[in-house]
Amino acid sequence: MSKPVSLKIDGRDVKVLEGTNLIDAAESSGIHIPNLCYLKGVRGIGACRLCLVEIEGMKAPVIACTTKVKEGMNVTTDTEKIREMRKFVIDLILSMHPLDCMTCTKAGVCNLQQYAYDFELKESTFTRKKFGFSIDEANPFIKREPDYCILCGRCVRVCKEQGTNVLDFMGRGVGARVITAMDKPLQESECTFCGSCVDACPVNALLEADRWRKGREWEYTKINSVCLSCGNGCDITVSTKDGSIVKINVGTEDSSVERYICAIGRFGFDSITADSRITAPLKRIGNELKETTWDDALKIAAEKLKEAGKGAGIVSTGNILNQDAFVLGKLASQAVKTKNVDTTVSLYADEDSMKYSDSVDIDSADLIVAVGINPSQWERVLPALDAGIRKRVARGAKLIVINNPSESPYTPLWKRGAEGDFKGGEGGFASIANINIRGDEASALAQVAKALKELAVSGQQSGSQEIKTSETSPIEQVVALFVKAQNPVIFTAPSLFNASVNIKLVTRHLSLVTPKVVAVPLEANARGVVSMGLIAEGKSYKDMVSGGAKVLYVIGEIPVNQRPKGVDFLIVQGSHMTEIAKQADIVLPASALLESEGTIINYLGRVKDIIKAIEPAGSAKQHKDIFIALSKAMGNPIRESKIKTVLEVKAKAKFSPFEKREGLDINPNEFIESINKHVINHSRLLWLKETEKVAV
Amino acid sequence: MTEQKEKKLEDIKKEAEQYKCPVQKSLYFIAEFLSGPMCGRCFPCSFGSYEARIRLRNITEGKGTEDDINKLKRIVENMLENSMCKKGKDTAVYMSESIELDSYSEHISDVCRDKECLSLIEYIIIPEQCIICGDCQDVCKDNAIIGEKKKSYLSGYMPFEIVQKRCTKCGECIKVCPTNAIEIVSAKEAREKEPVAI
Repeated sequence: MSKPVSLKIDGRDVKVLEGTNLIDAAESSGIHIPNLCYLKGVRGIGACRLCLVEIEGMKAPVIACTTKVKEGMNVTTDTEKIREMRKFVIDLILSMHPLDCMTCTKAGVCNLQQYAYDFELKESTFTRKKFGFSIDEANPFIKREPDYCILCGRCVRVCKEQGTNVLDFMGRGVGARVITAMDKPLQESECTFCGSCVDACPVNALLEADRWRKGREWEYTKINSVCLSCGNGCDITVSTKDGSIVKINVGTEDSSVERYICAIGRFGFDSITADSRITAPLKRIGNELKETTWDDALKIAAEKLKEAGKGAGIVSTGNILNQDAFVLGKLASQAVKTKNVDTTVSLYADEDSMKYSDSVDIDSADLIVAVGINPSQWERVLPALDAGIRKRVARGAKLIVINNPSESPYTPLWKRGAEGDFKGGEGGFASIANINIRGDEASALAQVAKALKELAVSGQQSGSQEIKTSETSPIEQVVALFVKAQNPVIFTAPSLFNASVNIKLVTRHLSLVTPKVVAVPLEANARGVVSMGLIAEGKSYKDMVSGGAKVLYVIGEIPVNQRPKGVDFLIVQGSHMTEIAKQADIVLPASALLESEGTIINYLGRVKDIIKAIEPAGSAKQHKDIFIALSKAMGNPIRESKIKTVLEVKAKAKFSPFEKREGLDINPNEFIESINKHVINHSRLLWLKETEKVAV
Repeated sequence: MTEQKEKKLEDIKKEAEQYKCPVQKSLYFIAEFLSGPMCGRCFPCSFGSYEARIRLRNITEGKGTEDDINKLKRIVENMLENSMCKKGKDTAVYMSESIELDSYSEHISDVCRDKECLSLIEYIIIPEQCIICGDCQDVCKDNAIIGEKKKSYLSGYMPFEIVQKRCTKCGECIKVCPTNAIEIVSAKEAREKEPVAI
């Protein structure tokens, strides 16, 4: 465990944890040590030599990014000598950098510009060097302009750490360049267009492709929100200008391994302004959907729902916010008076797994066990979890993968690569695992539990405190890792949650750290909607979408394209004109992602605030406001009351059989693609989908 | 392609001894360093040595100014202090050993004492020693030597002359001249001696 260390930086007393480097230590007390190549959270490489500091008792200055704090250190970050050395480096970099800050999009947030200002360098005093490298702008996402590159290597290291490994240096010193393999354009490389490199670039060498003349950083309003495209629910920072979104960046703090968003989260926002947006209520007249007023649409919907009463069915995505879910529950029970409410969550998770999952901080995990899950950045299935685990492993955590490849078919989302040829290594992150257990997950877990139990027995018999393990079979190796782990975390498929919890219960009887168990859902607010009580008491989602309800009320984008047979009246409430919306009788326009406000509970059990970045398109309203208006139209008005989000529910300490829950085995790839259909098909992601299809 | 073994700094140092002029030595050293052992892992060394090569070239090409020398001193100082590894530091040490010599400032005023910086020298034929044998003309690849070979039965021949515009200072003529009539002089001196054409 890390101990606190006290030291002095520029005369200030600083107390930080052992193992912190000097840049972070100084930052924590508000002192900025200049740097260009340092990446928070990643081991320093000391390339730029800007972070020089002087330490009392040391002859020469040392670089702060690779120097760890020591008790009683006395650090000076700014002396005449250091200033000259920093200025020298900036001066040299400026000599090969296009000095066009007046039109440069990165102006204002460019680190080089800032340091040039700090060191009073109007221009370089060294010989001007020009390169004229070609620009890669063949894709609609990321523009690469090597002329601006200062060779800090942040992009290369970010890409490497998360496992995509697309970028690398060609050449060395002046004239070197960051390239893809064989210097191909990005779309012909293995690039997933996550844009992590764009976030890492300190200058204008890597930038979103559509930023030219769309305003600069100081003109933007920045909002921290959450992406709801998949079960990861990543933090994002949304930049808006004049009421529309300009760009989305990763929102997680610098040092976390969760600092990752995928192409869908970063570039999918075009879909908000797509033609397929529903901007006004629609009602069916004959064979056509015609625009109508809110009052009219609500009146018709209310009448039909009232008529159906108990027989009405309501299905929702698991992507609605807690507040929406809470009001929806009230609408169903108090206004419509039906028990037939369910969400898409029931397709892949049971109530237990969503309710009793632990809260986890991946950054402190030192042992990660992945049970029956196949996250992949390349297939864009829970990509942030894939990247996070890969980064965690790169930073020293151990990984155990328990997976049954034959039972969880790995059909690529956009059919990249030949079958069985998984990008990022055979079997996804299994290729970087310390231990791989192939075969039935539940029985593997049972074996692990048994081995742990035996360990307990033998420990009691020998009476020694120390647990001895032999490490011959994979199961024994797993046990050995559990014995050493300080912060074990089990990420499991919801269907294997109960089986995984058994491991936790076993370790309680041992003097081991009990692992946290997290069931990984496929939708961002699955844990939220379940804890808001949206659990089928009447008919299930599957029943209802296969015609179990005469009057069906569909909320959000669900993976159903055909109007179910036997549905007499179909109400669809959503942001985009989906296939099923086209077949509806009433269509209610709902606000899209980033137009709503509320909270979610993400897969790690954290309550996250969703903040409205832009106003809803047309007369669209947030789900909960529509529910309230609908209840009024039905004559049973409900009110929105403050909700309490219960974070962690104490799980029952009861063993369950080592079994995989049946009926929760939808294909995650297809599911995630279908719930994001409007985002993918109505934004520049469509280009990516088409390009990746061609690449097969 | 055969993988060439990376040159060691010591080897480069020895090879640099082929020059007498300290600026040429430094230039050779830094050029070899850049194309060989420089790893490019830290900025002061990789960017600094590149800039140093530019500045040294300026000086050898007669375009050097006081600023070039000052910048070189700054580069040397910073590379010495701030390079990540010994290679960068050793390179800085090598350059620092000569940078304070008078030779550098002489170059700025267009004099290469060791007559190795081509832009600062001229090849001339000393008329008194020329026997008009034409050997130099025969080896000159650039047709830079004018004059007519002496025929023994005729008189009135002029000694050969080197057209400076054409001369590439390859040095072949010196090798063949039987009477050591070809001399390398400082270009500056030569200009000063020559009558100015009006």
